[in-house]
Amino acid sequence: MQTAKYDFMGKRRIFFGISAAIIAVIVLCSILFGVQMDIQFRGGAMLTLGYEGEIQLSDVEEAAKEVLGSDITVQSSDSATGQKAITVSMPGSETMSADELEDLIAQLNEAYEANNFTQLETSNVDATMGREFFIKCLVAVVTACVLILIYVWIRFRRIGGLTAGTFAVCALINDLIVVFGCFVILQIPLNGNFVAAMLTILGYSINDTVVIYDRIRENRKLMGNKLPFEQLVNLSINQSLRRSVNTTVTTCIALAVVCVVSVVFSLSSIFTFALPLMIGMASGLYTSLFLATGLWVEWESHRAKKASK
Amino acid sequence: MKKKGKPWHFAVVALLICVFAFTAFFGVSSTYGDIKTVYIKGASDIRFGIDIRGGVDVTFVPADGYDATPEQMQAAKTVIEDRLVSQNITDSEVYTDEAKDRIIVRFPWKEGESSFDPETAIQELGATAQLTFRKGTSADGEIVLEGSDVRRAAAAYGPLTANGVSEYYVQLELEDSGKTKFAEATTELAQENGQISIWMDDQMISAPYVNTAITDGVATISGSFTQESAVSLADRINSGALPFALSADSYSTISPTLGTQSLEAMLLAGIIAFVLVALYMILNYRLPGAIASLALLGQSAATLACISGYLPIFNSFTLTLPGIAGIILAIGMGVDANVITAERIKEELKSGKTLDGALNAGFSRGLAPIIDGNVTVIIVALVLMAAFGPTDGVLAAIFSPVFGWFGAATAGTIYSFGYTLLVGVILNFVFGVAATRVMLRGVSRIKALRNPVLYGGAKNANG
Repeated sequence: MQTAKYDFMGKRRIFFGISAAIIAVIVLCSILFGVQMDIQFRGGAMLTLGYEGEIQLSDVEEAAKEVLGSDITVQSSDSATGQKAITVSMPGSETMSADELEDLIAQLNEAYEANNFTQLETSNVDATMGREFFIKCLVAVVTACVLILIYVWIRFRRIGGLTAGTFAVCALINDLIVVFGCFVILQIPLNGNFVAAMLTILGYSINDTVVIYDRIRENRKLMGNKLPFEQLVNLSINQSLRRSVNTTVTTCIALAVVCVVSVVFSLSSIFTFALPLMIGMASGLYTSLFLATGLWVEWESHRAKKASK
Repeated sequence: MKKKGKPWHFAVVALLICVFAFTAFFGVSSTYGDIKTVYIKGASDIRFGIDIRGGVDVTFVPADGYDATPEQMQAAKTVIEDRLVSQNITDSEVYTDEAKDRIIVRFPWKEGESSFDPETAIQELGATAQLTFRKGTSADGEIVLEGSDVRRAAAAYGPLTANGVSEYYVQLELEDSGKTKFAEATTELAQENGQISIWMDDQMISAPYVNTAITDGVATISGSFTQESAVSLADRINSGALPFALSADSYSTISPTLGTQSLEAMLLAGIIAFVLVALYMILNYRLPGAIASLALLGQSAATLACISGYLPIFNSFTLTLPGIAGIILAIGMGVDANVITAERIKEELKSGKTLDGALNAGFSRGLAPIIDGNVTVIIVALVLMAAFGPTDGVLAAIFSPVFGWFGAATAGTIYSFGYTLLVGVILNFVFGVAATRVMLRGVSRIKALRNPVLYGGAKNANG
């Protein structure tokens, strides 16, 4: 009879601990740091201006405040590729009309001729549209969740029943919390990318779990009840290990390359998308291998104990 | 299913993939004089999103909370499209969200344009004003017609009298509501050869003399027009037929310099990612790994072809930065099918099966998990496309019970990500499963390549 190389399930309590700790840290961080919303969701205006030479941030801020008559903030956002830039943000969810924007650039260039301010990027979202888009995104996440749950329900009736399906969903929730945590800890405002990352992980992560559960079912058919459940699961994990690891590694390689390149070229919109995805994928591997299975083993052994009493 | 492969199967599929990849990346076109004919669209023919090319993304709403009818929104859309075209912007995306009275406009910055001034473009597009035709040339002259009395105006070129020289003029068609009013006014004014002035808000845009009474509701405005000025007058009269202005509550712009750089960066990322993943596969799985890399090349090329349209008759999709991220992600995810198959083959070889037996077992037992993995990603990709895509598309119609209540996304670039993810996953079946099988079977019939070591098995040659 085949035996498992590594005893993962014997250490399942450790994995529960790790997951609980990660979730606790993320919850704590989101309470301490707060969760930021991108202007895509809350409305507001942000403007990136390129410039040449040297500037005094506070002077520019004063000048811009005067033009816009609004309590704006100006931050430096020089990029790694040598492009000097500042970011002007409107307070709260105030927006800047196209007129005001044109006026601002003209006035700045009049006052600081040598700096030659040019606009690189602007983003203006009306508060109502932002809120509506946010709700639409929530609905999108819920819709995807419902569809995935239906899939899980259909699929898991054959492999391990609904209890097993429930644990697969627990693992999935763990992954989504990790993706969320990425945004909170890195202080990335939640935006459309966040939703795209959440949904992608949702679709991707369940897959690993299904493959392992499939293996468990297959092994159960082969060996019947000769092997205790814990060892059966252990064996299945060991058999699927290489495949699960290799698939995640190739995906993470691809995403890591995107991360590195986006840092070098300072493409923050791509970095803030690829990094949470990559960490979510890694989390997906971990939860599929150890958490979804560990919870299932825990449940079964709990049931067995109850039955023997 | 115990199909026997043949070495030439491998050769043909491999060659096809290479030819396909080459054409999908570089395209096929011929240049005759100044005319370039594209037979196959390559990567350079892809329509890139505004986050790459630089450009503007605006959401227009009727100003001051005006509740426009769907017809009026459609008219406003036409006006915007016309204006874009008249500014030489031909590859814009304009769609309306009738439930929410919104018009979403995305247009790239014109190539070769030196100064990046999107505000003016936004103002020009949205500047719909109250159109009035007044007697005389003073701003408080009696109003003859209002915007809603005008059906349409068009610029035209040709002789106005039987033997006259050709010239540019503006042809004006009136609604029934305007015919009588205009007839009365022109009859009166024609007698004294008076002027009718056309006003946009408080700006006079034209003041033609009335030569004859116009009773049939069709008038021409002529006199020293250039093509440009004729088109511009017609355009403004058309847009003035709408009783509301459009305000740009939400807009975003990105300068072309920022965009071009990001395209190069993502291209670099794509190439590095492909090479690393291919190396990883070859080092881990040897021959099946090499074939997986070839299949992956095919998958990436086909994804590009699905975006560019490949053949001129197919439509192209806009590719944005998240879209490229989706392609690269699909490179990493795409080898999953090959990993599952190759691992199975390895296992079967270790359990003592012959090479052919191991291949067959690997293919048949690997299929279920491959389908599993892809179904969930397809679900997610469709939801992404429906939530972030245009509100008047097919997908939006299917998902309208869910998303129909909401307006368009304020982050349109994600749509492209959903598309590349979807296409990547579907193509994975073609290349990661079907093409891989044919190639692996074929290659396994080549004598020199029958050593199980090449497939991750033990060293003793059997077979």
